[in-house]
Amino acid sequence: MAGTQETREQVAEITGDYKYGFVTDVEMDMAPKGLSEDIVRFISAKKKEPEWLLNWRLKAYRAWLKMDEPDWAKVNYPKIDYNDTYFYAAPKSQDKPKSLDEVDPELLRVYEKLGIPLAEQEVLAGVEGARKIAVDAVFDSVSVATTFREELKKAGVIFMSISEAVHEYPELIKKYMGTVVPQRDNYFAALNCAVFSDGTFVYIPKGVRCPMELSTYFRINAENTGQFERTLIIAEEGAYVSYLEGCTAPMRDENQLHAAVVELVALDDAEIKYSTVQNWYPGDKDGKGGIYNFVTKRALCKGKNSKVSWTQVETGSAVTWKYPSCVLAGEGSVGEFYSVAVTNNLQQADTGTKMIHMAPNTRSTIISKGISAGRSQNCYRGLVKVLSGAENVRNYTQCDSLLVSSTSAAHTVPYIEVKNPTAQIEHEATTSKISEDQLFYCRARGLGEEEAVAMIVNGFCKEVMQHLPMEFAVEAQKLLGISLEGSVG
Amino acid sequence: MPELVTTAYSDQAASLDGTLAGMGHVRSAAISKFEETGFPTARDENWRYSDIKQLRGQAFSVAQKPPSTEIPDAICETAARLVLVNGRFDVERSNFGDLLQAMSIRPIANHLMANNDRANELHSGSDALTVLNTALMRDGLVFSVPAGVEIEEPIEIVHLMSGADGAAAHVRHLIELGEGAKATILERFVGDESTYWFNSVLQARVAEGAALNHYRLQTEGPQAIHTAKAVVSVGAGGNYNACNISLGASLSRFDAEVRLLVDGANATIDGVALAASRQSHDMLVHVDHRMPTTTSDQVFRTVADALGKSSFQGKITVAVGAQQTLADQSFKALLLARTAEANAKPELEIYADDVKCSHGATIGELDAKAMFYLMSRGIDPATARQMLVEAFTDDALERIDNASVADAFRDRIKSWMMAHAPTQLEKDVA
Repeated sequence: MAGTQETREQVAEITGDYKYGFVTDVEMDMAPKGLSEDIVRFISAKKKEPEWLLNWRLKAYRAWLKMDEPDWAKVNYPKIDYNDTYFYAAPKSQDKPKSLDEVDPELLRVYEKLGIPLAEQEVLAGVEGARKIAVDAVFDSVSVATTFREELKKAGVIFMSISEAVHEYPELIKKYMGTVVPQRDNYFAALNCAVFSDGTFVYIPKGVRCPMELSTYFRINAENTGQFERTLIIAEEGAYVSYLEGCTAPMRDENQLHAAVVELVALDDAEIKYSTVQNWYPGDKDGKGGIYNFVTKRALCKGKNSKVSWTQVETGSAVTWKYPSCVLAGEGSVGEFYSVAVTNNLQQADTGTKMIHMAPNTRSTIISKGISAGRSQNCYRGLVKVLSGAENVRNYTQCDSLLVSSTSAAHTVPYIEVKNPTAQIEHEATTSKISEDQLFYCRARGLGEEEAVAMIVNGFCKEVMQHLPMEFAVEAQKLLGISLEGSVG
Repeated sequence: MPELVTTAYSDQAASLDGTLAGMGHVRSAAISKFEETGFPTARDENWRYSDIKQLRGQAFSVAQKPPSTEIPDAICETAARLVLVNGRFDVERSNFGDLLQAMSIRPIANHLMANNDRANELHSGSDALTVLNTALMRDGLVFSVPAGVEIEEPIEIVHLMSGADGAAAHVRHLIELGEGAKATILERFVGDESTYWFNSVLQARVAEGAALNHYRLQTEGPQAIHTAKAVVSVGAGGNYNACNISLGASLSRFDAEVRLLVDGANATIDGVALAASRQSHDMLVHVDHRMPTTTSDQVFRTVADALGKSSFQGKITVAVGAQQTLADQSFKALLLARTAEANAKPELEIYADDVKCSHGATIGELDAKAMFYLMSRGIDPATARQMLVEAFTDDALERIDNASVADAFRDRIKSWMMAHAPTQLEKDVA
């Protein structure tokens, strides 16, 4: 069924006018255009990196040269000219500022305009009950500010840019970087390994519940640049952290590349909650410009009963190629993926998740909602894999798509591969089958089936969205209003 | 090695020159294409779950006519019985009944001879096996049912492979149903213990208001490779109803490509695969909804025991403007042993907004509660298991239009269960 008028308006509102398309004039330090071993060395030297990291980058670069750009996703875009892209762009300054007072006021204004609280006192003086959020602000290739570091340090939490962590905690970086997403994992991951500029490093020690939400705010500003950041989050035994990520970019006619790598490691009983509101510039109504968002995100649930939960609200980017995944290697570990993806105009999104069940009693839940408007393409692509040694695995997958215009497209490509008979795998694309018990309950109280289903799924999603902090939740809430009516499997 | 295999097939294609009228350039175009692409590997999306390394590593020669062979008994009342031995039509062993009065049945050689353009009309395909079938086809049957003619009893085609060790048969059938015509084709595939490869392509055109039932019972020999493709186009208000049963062969594949070309065209494609020992069954369906108000429904049930593997890849495409399409798909797999494997890839590709498409897939083992319920009523575990598996697979047989065909399929499934239940039974008793 076609979407209601209300739905159309809501989608237009969310994806219509891009509010973050302004350009900031900041003096930049750029690497020459193009990619070569020299550029890799240049980036490494700029960041005063140790020898081992330079070698690690070079190894990735050489591997990347031999790899082919993937073409299996349901996305079309002109071939990227890697020699016409700047692989490094940083606001000019000597060293990373020690406090916010030293940050270029022009940059602070950018984040103010985006509504990102960089100044700690602002948050502290905020409304009572408002949650504190520590922010790492990444501007083009470098991290320009990281807030609440001292307070976090007291709790033993390390929260800093990854380039600082390379110098301050080289052992942790060496131990974990590239273990979840190997260098050769895929074309864009290899590229990222060679030229990654900055990103966030988080380490939560044993038994610590991180005292506040952590977040990174990515901003692409410079023209013709690619952003290649890496995020590495490690939660030791019994630790807990909630991490959020937001992204925007100016409106430009050229396409810009964003190829990030995110690695999460959860040890015994640890929990990582990772939320994203991806709002990169999607291009204009005719599909001109916009970000190519080619991202590799993966979590390793290494420890027993560890848990990783990915929540994403995807509204931006011209092309999205992104599959936040969980490798469930620890017994009883849990992976979750909750996603709402909205595409409009000529946007293309190919997104989903992979749940690899390697250990017994592992569980995973996948809830994906795709909404396509305009002439866009929205594809869910997912893999649920159960290895033969993994007993009593449980997976529930539900993916619904809603088409809001007759010129848009919705695709579902789930892969289910099971090698253990004790697994219980369910893939549902019809809302009417979500939970017979709940349905029965609602219907017994006089609700129609449609109403009941909408209530159940909405209620469930709301619960997920409520975990997002305020500024993310507002955006996500709008998406939630979209009726489930007329869903296409 | 792969070059040697390709060269062998190029030679085979060359040696077939002049065998079927008008096929010369069609064969050479196909073999050039095959030389370019070779056999698919697990990296090819449609071959993710079928590992045909045996085909990549060994060139199968052209199957020859065996000295003598026994034709299997009929499984139900049929209107006609047409027999192909090692891929060649055997007119002496075939029985046309009274059919030729109502419709035409002839070898593909005669069909091609009548008109030079007919070779060009053959589906040459894009996947390597159809391409190779085009290059190497030697025989097959052409069925043509005139407008308004309804053939009630099934027309049985028996494909028998005998003494064809290391050999292959590439068979091509064409089926044409005129407006409002109706026919039921029952294809059976049987073979001996030798290592052979059976590769068939069936092309069917169902005209306005016509109905084609296509039932397949695949009981190839245990060493066989069975690869079959069905390419079907359905006209306005036409119906294509298929049910495929995969039981035999070491590796089997049934790939149905159904195009709903005109408003109101309908297709139902169902299937059951039972995999044991080291068998691998792969069933692929692509239903292409090109026009508005077309409908399709798929029900697939698979059971895997021992080291068996059952896979299903079902794709539904709804083209731009194909509004009010209804498409449903249900896939369920049962795993009876620790070492068995099930794969599913139910895919939707939708370019129209006013449609209702859905798919559901589940994979798991037999419901312990249901087992307990039956056993608490005094039914022994083996029978209980058999009952549950039969009930499970029966979902896919419900649409079979002919009761005796459906019963014959049920019997085969029952005997499979009786032969393969013990592995699981031992576990229960322990």
